[in-house]
Amino acid sequence: MTLHGVGASAGIGIGTAVCVREQNLDYTSVPFSGAEQEKARLRAAADLFTQRTQAMADDITNRLGEAEAAILTGQIMMLEDPFMLSQMEEAIDAGKCAEEALDTVCQTFIAMFSGVEDELMRQRAADIGDIRTRMLGILLHAESVDLAALPEGTVLVVHDLTPSMTVSLSKEHVCAILTEVGGQTSHSAILARALEVPAVLGVPGLLDAVQDGMTVAVDGTEGAALLCPDEATLAAFQARRDKWLEERALLQVYRDRDTRTADGRHVDLYANIGSVADAKAAAEAGAEGIGLFRTEFLFMDRTALPDEEEQYQAYAQVSDLMAGKEVIIRTLDVGGDKGIAYLEMEREENPFLGHRAIRYCLDRPDLYRVQLRALLRAGARHGNIKIMLPLVSGVEEVRGARALLEECKTQLSAEGLAFDPHISLGIMVETPAAALIADLLAREAGFFSIGTNDLTQYTIAVDRGNAKVEKLYTCYHPAVLRSIRSVIAAGKAAGIPVGMCGEAAADPRMIPLLLAFGLDEFSVSPSSILAARKQIADWNGPDALRTAEQAMALDTAAQVSDFLAQASASL
Amino acid sequence: MVSAKTTIINPMGMHMRPAQLFVKTITPFGCDVTVIANGREINARSIMNLMAACIKQGTEIEICCNGSNEADCLKAAVALVESGLGE
Repeated sequence: MTLHGVGASAGIGIGTAVCVREQNLDYTSVPFSGAEQEKARLRAAADLFTQRTQAMADDITNRLGEAEAAILTGQIMMLEDPFMLSQMEEAIDAGKCAEEALDTVCQTFIAMFSGVEDELMRQRAADIGDIRTRMLGILLHAESVDLAALPEGTVLVVHDLTPSMTVSLSKEHVCAILTEVGGQTSHSAILARALEVPAVLGVPGLLDAVQDGMTVAVDGTEGAALLCPDEATLAAFQARRDKWLEERALLQVYRDRDTRTADGRHVDLYANIGSVADAKAAAEAGAEGIGLFRTEFLFMDRTALPDEEEQYQAYAQVSDLMAGKEVIIRTLDVGGDKGIAYLEMEREENPFLGHRAIRYCLDRPDLYRVQLRALLRAGARHGNIKIMLPLVSGVEEVRGARALLEECKTQLSAEGLAFDPHISLGIMVETPAAALIADLLAREAGFFSIGTNDLTQYTIAVDRGNAKVEKLYTCYHPAVLRSIRSVIAAGKAAGIPVGMCGEAAADPRMIPLLLAFGLDEFSVSPSSILAARKQIADWNGPDALRTAEQAMALDTAAQVSDFLAQASASL
Repeated sequence: MVSAKTTIINPMGMHMRPAQLFVKTITPFGCDVTVIANGREINARSIMNLMAACIKQGTEIEICCNGSNEADCLKAAVALVESGLGE
């Protein structure tokens, strides 16, 4: 049986399942034993919590460093906060038992932190939730599996990974993590990636499907988990795990290196991110900048538009985290297929050809101005922000966005607010129309970034979500390769930088072609940075050119793919 | 009571680590400490209130100390903020 979820931390892990089931934290039958007695219970539980958490923090400090332990020492201070404790004691004085007092006060703080505009600060709600669960566990003697004492080769199976769980587990003993909830940008995903433990999150029905002691093979790259695999499958997985461990060890030497080809040409290696928290992971992974910051996360899972201040804070935080390095921020890329209910976008017959991205934003200048103003203001901090327009198909769209941008600058000047007057305005090249008129667009745009995922889909006219035609979807199609080559050439002729932020930028087969075409910047997911840096370092200019010439002379995508696979294997 | 104005200079503002450091620094002095930021008065002995106020880089804050060792406490608190709260 195979379970599917979000591949949140790459790698392969094989081991024995240890399930952490929901504890019974129901305290409705706990009697109130008098205010003094309840306060003493609360105090004793808090002391035990502090003692255990401090022991975990000391262990983390030794293994990973003080910065990683800050979540735990912070939790101690939050629980010991005189303000929080006094509210709990007041609740006890009002006749509530220790459990209810704790629960009520924690829920109030969870609600308070869930509502703040600062994205990183909202994560504190998860910490308070964690404090609540563990304190209730202590008070009710309903304690959970001791994660610090798991046997070697454990696949940890939980409903949700709390901050304390993630930091208390040791990567020597846990070889993979599976959860029922959580996504790519959740706190758990970030910590799992920091620990370099493969993780698949958001697997529905996980705890019903998995039993303690089952053998589980986890693919954190693809987001899949195999339960009780047969011997042949297990052997294949083991081989992949060995290869993964070996490759990971070899890549470590590339962590602090400059990105250069074998003959010394530097290219920029940037990261694609989807949240503020991702920027931290990107910086830690050695990204030299951000090539694509998707801003949709600011707009999703809420009931109203984020205001200028909230957007400004998010852009400013990423700008600060990457201080001195470039940050390319893509403006809102939504359409009828992405559900943002409060925007009331109509359902469309062909959402991918519809009223989306820059088309939608230019028709909603009221909404677009807010984002442009926030970007201009955030740019004033370090001058490292660039604005990127999605789904451009004509020169008018760039002019339209530029006119709005100039309008916003005039407004900001009049209001006396600081902004970056020289902010660069560039475009995603992801429609065949944009690729064919790249020379015209290059006169209007400050930079290009090729979005290969959409460019491939639109060039070949294939929906990769449709199983009957998905095999047609490939960036090795000569039409896609010619497009990429001519876009890069047009950018070079106009003297503007050209990057790529689609999956192809991290593809070992594509890298020699992109080097030969003269791509300036490769933007990949944070977890692909080291591998891409190594692949770029494996090629020298003349070999890449020769390989590209031969590949471009082939007729079919399959021939190109095979040829490039051989070429990269023979390095 | 003594008070002084200063500006948050560290990039992340009053986040988990800086807030921990701030509370740890002022607590031993034993006086009451209030931080006024964005028009709000915050009891600075409470890490929860300090974080929930979302005090950003570039925000001017006023620190007020009242009680035992208030002058020394103010001096230490201002020096900590000016040094970038450990970031």
